[in-house]
Parts: sequence; structure tokens; C-alpha cells
Amino acid sequence: MIDVRKATRQDLKRHNRSTLLRAVVYGLADNRAALAQITGLAKPTVSDLISELITEGFLIERGTGEAAENGGKRPRLLEFVPAARQVIGVSIDAHQITGVLADLSGRIVAEHIARLDGTRVIDILIDAINGLIAQLDAPLLCIGVGVPGVVDSERGIVEHCAPLGWRHLPLAEQLSAVLHCPVTVANNTELAALAQFAFRSGEIDRSHNLITILVNSTAEIGVALRGAYYHHGGDIGGLRLTPTSAPLHETLSWAAIQHHAADLRASYPATMLPERDLTIVHLRYAAINDDPLAWCLIDELAEALATVTAWAIMLLHPHHVSLAGEIAELGAPLLDRLRAKTTALLAPETVDAVTFSLADDARLSAVGALAHAIHQKLDIL
Amino acid sequence: MQRVGVIINNRYDVFQSKVIQGIEAVAAEQGYSVEIDAIAENPAQPRPLSLNFDGLSGVIAIANVLPDAMLRQIHASKKPLTLISHDVSDTPIPAVIADNAQGMALLVRHMIETCGRQRIVFVRGDMGQSDGSARAAAFEREMMRYNCMPPPEFILNGDFKPTHARAAVARLLQTRTDFDAIIAADYLTALAAWDALRAADIRVPDTVQIAGFGDGIEAETAGLTTVAADVIEQGRRGMRQLIAQIDGVQIRGVTVLKTYLVARNSTRLR
Repeated sequence: MIDVRKATRQDLKRHNRSTLLRAVVYGLADNRAALAQITGLAKPTVSDLISELITEGFLIERGTGEAAENGGKRPRLLEFVPAARQVIGVSIDAHQITGVLADLSGRIVAEHIARLDGTRVIDILIDAINGLIAQLDAPLLCIGVGVPGVVDSERGIVEHCAPLGWRHLPLAEQLSAVLHCPVTVANNTELAALAQFAFRSGEIDRSHNLITILVNSTAEIGVALRGAYYHHGGDIGGLRLTPTSAPLHETLSWAAIQHHAADLRASYPATMLPERDLTIVHLRYAAINDDPLAWCLIDELAEALATVTAWAIMLLHPHHVSLAGEIAELGAPLLDRLRAKTTALLAPETVDAVTFSLADDARLSAVGALAHAIHQKLDIL
Repeated sequence: MQRVGVIINNRYDVFQSKVIQGIEAVAAEQGYSVEIDAIAENPAQPRPLSLNFDGLSGVIAIANVLPDAMLRQIHASKKPLTLISHDVSDTPIPAVIADNAQGMALLVRHMIETCGRQRIVFVRGDMGQSDGSARAAAFEREMMRYNCMPPPEFILNGDFKPTHARAAVARLLQTRTDFDAIIAADYLTALAAWDALRAADIRVPDTVQIAGFGDGIEAETAGLTTVAADVIEQGRRGMRQLIAQIDGVQIRGVTVLKTYLVARNSTRLR
């Protein structure tokens, strides 16, 4: 729906506060006069809003700067206080909930993990968030939650989440009512993409376009365009690459790979892959040691992923493609094959313009969830 | 004043005394008194619990001091319970643990990438403890990642007991000396392994480099490279988790604390 509502005084004030705070966070200005100059806001407005931000603890005055060339008082320098508030970011997958507690700069002070065990997922989610609330050292600003599936992040509604069986669930509203704190909700892979831009820690240029393909119990694509100015994500697990093939979430699932390895074992009697308790690290280790069965399985995975990647490159023109989720543990063997097979589907110069990487941090979506929550609340990322 | 009980094996053990320090600091801030029941200060003759649970607002159990069945029983009785350095799978009992996988990854990366060592012996901990099994699994995973899987005879049983670790390394030295590093599942068994090397006139770090999980004054004095978990912080976080439960907040899952590398003289840049 198009928003045709005119801005209220509150909207304007919130916008101006964020503009000032962002300018200090990014080091664009460190005193009131400089802030008025670069933002174009009137000096009394700057002064009032800065006083408010100091009272609330987001900024402190620390020392004085140089006087202007034409003399006058030395300006009092302003500094951002990342420890003023803490934020919780949580992601849910089909097996567990992963949460992080961090300050406003994204510095993680505690992590909390809760396995899904058949109890109602929303109850486990609340209990896991409580585990992080117990560890707060500063007031809680907000909570960000990532879920697999289709999410209306503006309204905080999970429209469809197949692994958890959720449909039209007003998750943000339900959590907020229980936890008494603002809650944002978004798609896990969108958040994984966002995390790679957030907190200025990533190696990815902030002006670039990034797509993230995340494979865990689901297969999803997250998009962050123009340095996360626009971001979105969605489930592609139901996609069949041909009318007769299985949906992607089945082809790419670890259970399917294990079954396929067992089926092919008779054709590769000398394989070094263990018959039982096969892990992704075993598969990578065997591939590095030139095990033919391991390469056969990785080739099939790369082929499926390459089709998706080629379409995404043609449609979205990303500068960067990252592979996330547990499948990223396969490392360079999968990434190299993915690049080669994507090149075979597109003009080589199209793929040459794109960099590929692995994002194998299991906390990526949770970190993205806290970045998203801070962005929604303070607009400083 | 509300009272909480802390059940431990040995209050004089370096790890457990630091955890208690953290618990007591938060308890003092929040107006709780702490009663400690150390049931195995003589490991040969552990004694039964002496705490009266009825008068306690909550209980903290450290490491493997109580059998899992008893922990399940306490939890089922609705008594607020927090575990430190222990995790009972298949239950919602909350716990605070150090990140064993991340810590072991740091040690293996340091040994292989920074020190250039690849033929690494591993001294396992007590495989019946969650810390012991998690560190062993993480060691194997990291060695596979670097394509440096050790032969089976390079995996020794140290059981988190220095005497066992020293004997295991001494036995290995009778048959094999073609290793260039040792990683132990805890720093006290790493120091014991170092003793065994010294007794065999093998120089550290020139010939063999050594590192261990966890950190303490003994490691610092000896110059042993470690990954340190902030053990006092583990105690603090555990007490906060317990107080939240006493206040009626339901918590499930495990709070995980990161570790960091402390490079000392027992390892050296290549």
C-alpha cells in the first residue's frame, strides 16, 4: 500500500535525531556547530536534539576541540556511546534458535542457543530471548528476529514458514506483548545479506549489490542492493529446476546428500567417506583428498546452485555472491565448482565481474537481525 | 536474604574457585547469600550432598558434579537450576558454557597457520563430560578442515587428569617421536604433557610446541599458550541466569561465552 500520510512533527523530529546521531556515529561531525553546518538544521534544533541524545545516554561530551579561525568558544566534542543500550538478535531454523546480545556497535557480549525439541517454537523462542535478557548490562533497545520463509517485515508478520508450519503469524506483535520491547521480524537470508554490510566490519563495499544464497534446512535468497539501502529475502526451496526434479530444499538438504551418498557408495567402493555419521566436514575433507564420490556429490550440488546463481546474476546484477548456511562449510571445493558451473551458463565476462565468497558464520542471520532492529529503531547503520 | 546453593567437586580447584568468585560477586550485588557444597574434595571418597534444598531459592551445579539423572530430578521439582560448564542434552535446563568449538578452532589455527606445525598430538579430556567430548569433536573437525588428520595413535587419553596425560605422552614417546606439536583439552594436562617431554629431553618450543584449553596462573607462570575462557565471567553469567529464574522468568538453552588466544613461549611463529 502506498503511504500518502503527510509527515508529522514527530516524524520530522525522529528523522532529524537520526540524522544527527548518524553523523556522529560515522565521524562526519563531532560538535554542534559542525552538525548544524553539515545537516542544514538550525542551531537551536541541533542543540535541543543533542541535549536529548546526551540525556538518554547515546552521546557524551568529551573534551573540547579547536576554536574556529575567527575566534569564539572552543566547541565541546561529542562522542557516540555504543554501550548506551543493548540489542538482541535471534534467528530460527528448523533445528535451533541462535541468539546474540550486543551493544549498538554490534560488539557481541553473549550468545544463547536453544534446540527445538517438539515444544511450541514460540515458547522456546521466548525462553531463549529470556536467556539473553538475563545477561543485560544496559537497557534493552529492541529485539530483531529472523525466520525462514516469507515475511512481511514492515508489519512483522510471518506470511509463510514451511519448516515451522507458520502461516500469517503476527510474530512481532506477539513477542512484543510478552517481552515488553519493540520487536522486528525479517527473513533469515535477507538478514544474512544485511549482516555482511552491517557495523562496517565486512569486506564488502557498502555501495555494492550483494546476493546471499543460504542453504540449511531450507534454500533461500537474500538481496541487499546499494549497500543494503534496499533489502529483501525469500524462500526458493519449493523451486524445481526441471519439471521432473525434486524441489531445491530436498535436493540441497543435508539429509538428501547423505541418502544420495549411501545410494552411490556401491559405485565408489574405495571412497573415504564414512558409512555412518557423515558430516559436511567429512565431505570437504574427502574432496580435498580427491575422493571421486565426494566430488560427484559436490558437482551435483554446484550444478543446482549454479542455475539459481545464474538467474540471480542476470536479474539483479550483483557485485558479490555469498554462499551461507551449513553448506558453506564445504568451503573452496564447492565455491570453485559453483563459479565454474555458473560461468558455463553465462557469458564469462558477466561472471568475471562478480566476486564469490563463503559466509560460514552460524550467527550471520542473528547478527543481521540485530542490525535490522537497530536500523529500524535508530536508523544509524 | 535469599540463599542459593552451589554444588561443586572441589572449591580449591583453580577453575571452580574462579567460577565461585564470579557467582559470589553477582550474589553480593543482588543481595543473595551463597552456600557452597563441595562434595569431592577427596576424589577417592566423594560424600553425599549436604545442602538442604528446601531453604534454597535456587541451585547452581558446576561441571559434572551431579549425575544427569539427579539434575533432571531437581529440574522436574521446579527448583530454579543453572548448570555451569555442563549441558544435559534433551532437557531445557539452562546452562552457561565456554565456546569449546570456537576455542579449539583458535588453538588449531594458531598451531597450523601461525606456528607452521601439522603433526599434532591431541590429549583428550574426560569424554564423559560435555567439555571433554565437545573439545575432542572440535579438534577432529578443525584438523579435517586443514587436511591434517592425525593417525589414531596421536589421540591420547588425558581425562582432564595431569597424571594420566603425563603417562600417555610418556607412552607415546616410547614408540613415536614424529610429532611436532601437542594440543591438550585443558591447560593442566598440557603442562603435564610438557613435563613428559622435558623428562625425555625434548625441547619446547624448538622441537615440539604445546598449547592447552583454558587458562590459569600455572599456565602463565610456565609460559604455556592457551585459549582463555573468562571463568569468573562464566560464574557471573551463571548467577544472573539463576536470579532471572528465581524471579519467575523461564529460560531454556545454553549461554555461550567466547574464548580468546593467549600466545606465550610454548609456541612460536614459524
